[in-house]
Amino acid sequence: MERFALEDFHSQLRESSTELSRWKLFQSSKWSAEALMGMKVTNTDDMLNADLSLTTDGDDESPLKKRQIFSSHNVLFDFGVDENQSETLPDVIPLTDKELDLYTLASSLFDCKEYDRCAFFLKETTHDGLKFLYTYSRYLLWDKKVTESTEDVMIKDPDNFSQDLSEFTNTAESGNDITGKNCSGISLSNRDVDVGNGEKISLPKLYHEITEHLDKYKSRSKLNTALLMYLLGVIQKRQGVPGGAMSYFLKSLKLYPFNWTCWCELLSCISRTDESVLLLKYLNDNFSMVKDHGVVHEHLMLRFFKLSVFKEFGGDFDRYIEELGEIMNLFPNFSFLRAQHALINYKYMDYANAELVFDELVTMDPYRLDDLDTYSNVLYVLQKPYKLAYLAQYAANVDIYRPETCCIIANYFSSKQQHEKSILYFRRALMLDKSYTHAWILMGHEFIEMKNSHAAIECYRRASDVNPRDFQAWYGLGQAYEVLDKHSFALYYFQKACALKPLDKRMWFASASCYEKLDKTVQAIKCFQRSSQLSGEQDVSILYRLAKLHEKNNDIDECKHYMLKCVELDDIKKVQQTDELGKAKLWLAKHEFKHRKYSEAYNYANGVLHGTSREIEEARAILAECRKRIDI
Amino acid sequence: MSSSHDTPSHVQSTLAISPLFQRTGANNDDNARNNGAGNFTGGNIVGGRNNTSHITQTPHQDRSPLVQKIRDVSHLATPAIMRHNGTAGSSLLTSMTKNGLFGPALPSTLRKTSTSTETAELNSSTNDNDLDHASDEVLDVSELSSVEKLRLWRHDALMQHHYKTAEHIGDIIYSMTKDPNDAFWLAQVYYNQGSYIRAVELIFSDQLDSESIMCRYLAALCLFKLNKHEEAIDIIGDTNPFQTEPTALGNTDGGVKLESSMCLLRGRIYIALSNMDRAKECFKEAVQVDVKNYEAFDYLLSKHLLTTAEQWDLVRTLQFNDLDDNEEMIRCLYISRLSKYQRQTEIETASKVLTEKYYLKENRTVLLAEIELLNNQSKFTQCMKLCEQVLEADEYNIEVLPIYIQCLHSFGAKNKLFLLSHKLAENFPKSPVTWFAVATYYLCMGKISEARKYFSRSSIMDPSFGFSWLGFAHTYVAEGEHEQALSAYSTAARFFPGTHLPYLYLGMQYNKMDDLSLAEEYFMMAYDMCPTDPLLLNELGVVYFKRQNYIKAKKYMKRAHDAIKNMKSESKAWISIVINLGHTYRKLGEDERAVKCFKTVLESSKPNATIWCSLGFLYLRMKKIEKSVDSFHKALALDQGNQAANKLLKTALEINAHMLLDEDHPMMISSNIRTIPASSIFNNDKKRTALGVNTFDPVTEAKRLKQGISDHEGDSMDIE
Repeated sequence: MERFALEDFHSQLRESSTELSRWKLFQSSKWSAEALMGMKVTNTDDMLNADLSLTTDGDDESPLKKRQIFSSHNVLFDFGVDENQSETLPDVIPLTDKELDLYTLASSLFDCKEYDRCAFFLKETTHDGLKFLYTYSRYLLWDKKVTESTEDVMIKDPDNFSQDLSEFTNTAESGNDITGKNCSGISLSNRDVDVGNGEKISLPKLYHEITEHLDKYKSRSKLNTALLMYLLGVIQKRQGVPGGAMSYFLKSLKLYPFNWTCWCELLSCISRTDESVLLLKYLNDNFSMVKDHGVVHEHLMLRFFKLSVFKEFGGDFDRYIEELGEIMNLFPNFSFLRAQHALINYKYMDYANAELVFDELVTMDPYRLDDLDTYSNVLYVLQKPYKLAYLAQYAANVDIYRPETCCIIANYFSSKQQHEKSILYFRRALMLDKSYTHAWILMGHEFIEMKNSHAAIECYRRASDVNPRDFQAWYGLGQAYEVLDKHSFALYYFQKACALKPLDKRMWFASASCYEKLDKTVQAIKCFQRSSQLSGEQDVSILYRLAKLHEKNNDIDECKHYMLKCVELDDIKKVQQTDELGKAKLWLAKHEFKHRKYSEAYNYANGVLHGTSREIEEARAILAECRKRIDI
Repeated sequence: MSSSHDTPSHVQSTLAISPLFQRTGANNDDNARNNGAGNFTGGNIVGGRNNTSHITQTPHQDRSPLVQKIRDVSHLATPAIMRHNGTAGSSLLTSMTKNGLFGPALPSTLRKTSTSTETAELNSSTNDNDLDHASDEVLDVSELSSVEKLRLWRHDALMQHHYKTAEHIGDIIYSMTKDPNDAFWLAQVYYNQGSYIRAVELIFSDQLDSESIMCRYLAALCLFKLNKHEEAIDIIGDTNPFQTEPTALGNTDGGVKLESSMCLLRGRIYIALSNMDRAKECFKEAVQVDVKNYEAFDYLLSKHLLTTAEQWDLVRTLQFNDLDDNEEMIRCLYISRLSKYQRQTEIETASKVLTEKYYLKENRTVLLAEIELLNNQSKFTQCMKLCEQVLEADEYNIEVLPIYIQCLHSFGAKNKLFLLSHKLAENFPKSPVTWFAVATYYLCMGKISEARKYFSRSSIMDPSFGFSWLGFAHTYVAEGEHEQALSAYSTAARFFPGTHLPYLYLGMQYNKMDDLSLAEEYFMMAYDMCPTDPLLLNELGVVYFKRQNYIKAKKYMKRAHDAIKNMKSESKAWISIVINLGHTYRKLGEDERAVKCFKTVLESSKPNATIWCSLGFLYLRMKKIEKSVDSFHKALALDQGNQAANKLLKTALEINAHMLLDEDHPMMISSNIRTIPASSIFNNDKKRTALGVNTFDPVTEAKRLKQGISDHEGDSMDIE
């Protein structure tokens, strides 16, 4: 059963790859093809048959027309929901001769990147697929023109940049330094592109065109409708309506689940953990369960998606590892999975393992540059500059004009403490891809190194605009504002980071410090408690601060409790002496002294070995006093 | 021949004194009537109802350049059809071309142009005796007297624009006969030649103007052309001399009544003298005397001389029954031209009849009606599309162009405006539309002083060209010169009582100057004229908003929004209406609705700091701190100096810090979602007992969070 399902999946993947590339969704098509190649080979005979059926393209009939033969396959993984609607749709509506010619023309124009012309010839079409191509090329046109028309201070060439930046910091300091100059993330989204002839391409217009088309023409195929839905989702996302976008992506996936970019877009629509939980529940309920003789099969695409969700938002770790192992068994040579594995190791800060997996990945698929920037991060953290240098050289030889390459090189320079050069390369990476979150964040880190908090804030802000799911950007923002003594701002960002990474003690700790600075004692105590709960081992400094906070709250008993805990911890673990420990002991000594328990006070004061000279003086004074009292 | 020396009665058109007419004029009294009817049937046959018969073309047709030219355009353009679209210009041509009385042997252009009609008529000879009589009476040139032959010569020369020949022969005839009619035709030749002064001199020197009304009309027309308006008025009289006579005589020859033409001329002179009231009366009279005088009707409408009510009154009084079979069609045509402010359904039915019953879907007049309707509803995208469709067939359609230019301006289509105004300047340097286009281009480019220069040039050329007046006033607005703008607008309001725009703009000016009561007054005046204009409703809403009468403001805003709803984001007007509606809701405390409005705007227009700021404020009021802070950040990202956003952001963050970290705090909930299932890793027993892990479900928890801080509003937009 399992095998049969897999074979079916195999042929569906193959079909999807050709079909998606036909409709110019190259990334999705690439993913499908890679998955296909990475699959476990089960039975060569079957494969041969399938191959034959595909290669019958040779005769002069168009493959597009023959699509229906494939669709008559019994489709095992059909989505149960909305049966009445989705079942009635044919998989593909064949093109008429004239439409086929039109498609051929439009397709070649599209390939030549002449989107204007492509759209022009497809203007009157009513076929779903051609309509998709029409709107898609118009969308790309819009995107291109918008990108061309926006200049970005942050990634302009460096000569101007330094001036701009100084000016930028000046204005920031003189005025209000909350935000940067222009936030491309939002200012881009709703622009109209004016051709000067009164014809504007704007997202709402494109959106209405598609919805109108969908309302008007009822006869349509699954695939093409799915593509149109996908495009609607993309547009809605650009318009800043993630909710609407999500529902379109889901509709699209229900009709046609093999569009991997669509899954990715779906993932990018959610920005909080709770949303991910809800989404997964929805998917589990509505998607992909085919009960076959009591065996529940999850659609493989959904399983892939779940892996990605876990990577972004975390979840049940054991379950996840199990799942990953299973899928890796099915797709032993799929580099995407390998990369996911590595990325997750990285996210869980298991750098050594991440390095190992990345090494495997590079030997397996040496010219795949995707995700290698994370590899360079791993090497950076592990402080392996030689390996990093090799990787940088290697990537540069493969393709110097890839944002990943630039990012690796930048990391290399950063590890050499050459921050200017590093920033230069980050900027280059961003010039190639403005929505490259990693580069924004790392560039922010570089600016922090160079003590330029304002520029760093701007970078982090961009990163969080592009990808609000990345806690690093929020955390970075918080830190930068903390440096600037803007604690209420910092707190807000730490809270955001904390919501994304609720199990990370650093987040809670940072929030707590902000609360402390803002004199919100109760909240600060809560956060510190959380933080200390989360850390595997107790931390003296947290305990001490908790104690201090309780003291501030006039809760002397609690305060003493924590102070005692500090000292206990020291007794158990014999950690190295810290300032906090000394202070705790001093406090206890004073406290006991006040309560006339001189022997305890003496013991505590005796333990004060570190601290400022004043503290040690005080301890000595108590010691002397106690000795006196005890003697008496 | 008996009638040849008579001065034509005022109810007749020039048809009566045409040399051809005179020949058969003796027995013509009821013939002419029937002729009209006969022609009509013939025309219809040719015009496409029965496509089989228009193939019957005689070889004669090829000879005349006039016919060839017509034929090149289309078969449908046979002379008979020209009456149908009501645009046939001079009465002379009409009378000539439709003259189906004469036998096939007539060798002039007149004969040739009507051949096909004639043949059709002959074939369908089921008509009455008169027709038979007409076709039986074969007109033999050799039977004519020598003068008659000369007259035919003169006439044919005139028709073929051989003015020299015509002048020469006409002079000879006049010297021979001293007939005032011949003098008239000679003057006509002069007029066509463009030597108006000679025509006037000819008429005056022989004192023909006192003898023949026709001549007097021509003299006045020439004087008008020579810009001697007062003299022209003297000749033609400042009121209609025939007013008292009964007009019920009915037109006997199917041409435009001369009396009506004179009224039209009088009206045009008054327009030139900027006396709009008198002009209006004259035009009304002209079209009332003879409904066929479309030009007068067009003047009334295109110059916005009538208010909507007056327009409907006028149409009601018109005598469409003069038109026999064409009555319904022409009535519909006229109705479709009326102002689109009120009684839209009637106009729409009229258009429907025209397109469905008379197959006039592609006709420009019908399209023009639709264009005006769309323009009035601010549906610029469709309007522009339709304009371009018309202009494709007729590139310099003077009626469509101003609206088209407006559309281009509203879309900021500089490039197209540039090309268009250059084309116009090349081809029509003397048309006000040309300079209107040029001025609009400059307005688009933000060159206000140039724009004003050309607007004023345009309105000097034709003081009754409303678009330029308004444009002229707009240039003052653009420079913030309120007083001048006000005076320009009020002049426009005086000149064009038929449009609400001047009042609207006046109101807007007063609104800007914070003179709310005056503003409201003007808006109300505009509202009486056109209660459906979304812009006007919006402005009214703004006035009430400023007066803090939010309930009323909401009422108007909502009406404006309803009026413009279906277009979505296509126009700037829509966006500002939604923004205003949002602010009104905000003031009324209807936060959810206000949020919806602002979100819709942000989804479909350029990002705007103040809107983000308002949105943030609303969220803050709704205690959605996270969203509020995000909104303020977005506002500040767009505009760093936004003080309000800055202040509010600080408040929001303070509140954020104040919030207790209890179990309902979003931070705690989101951490709970993760902690519990993963708790085994961290061995966190304390938390476990505290929450009671058995009942814990991350999904319900997430839902709780969603309810707490996420949208109630969702993304589906419906504002009440």
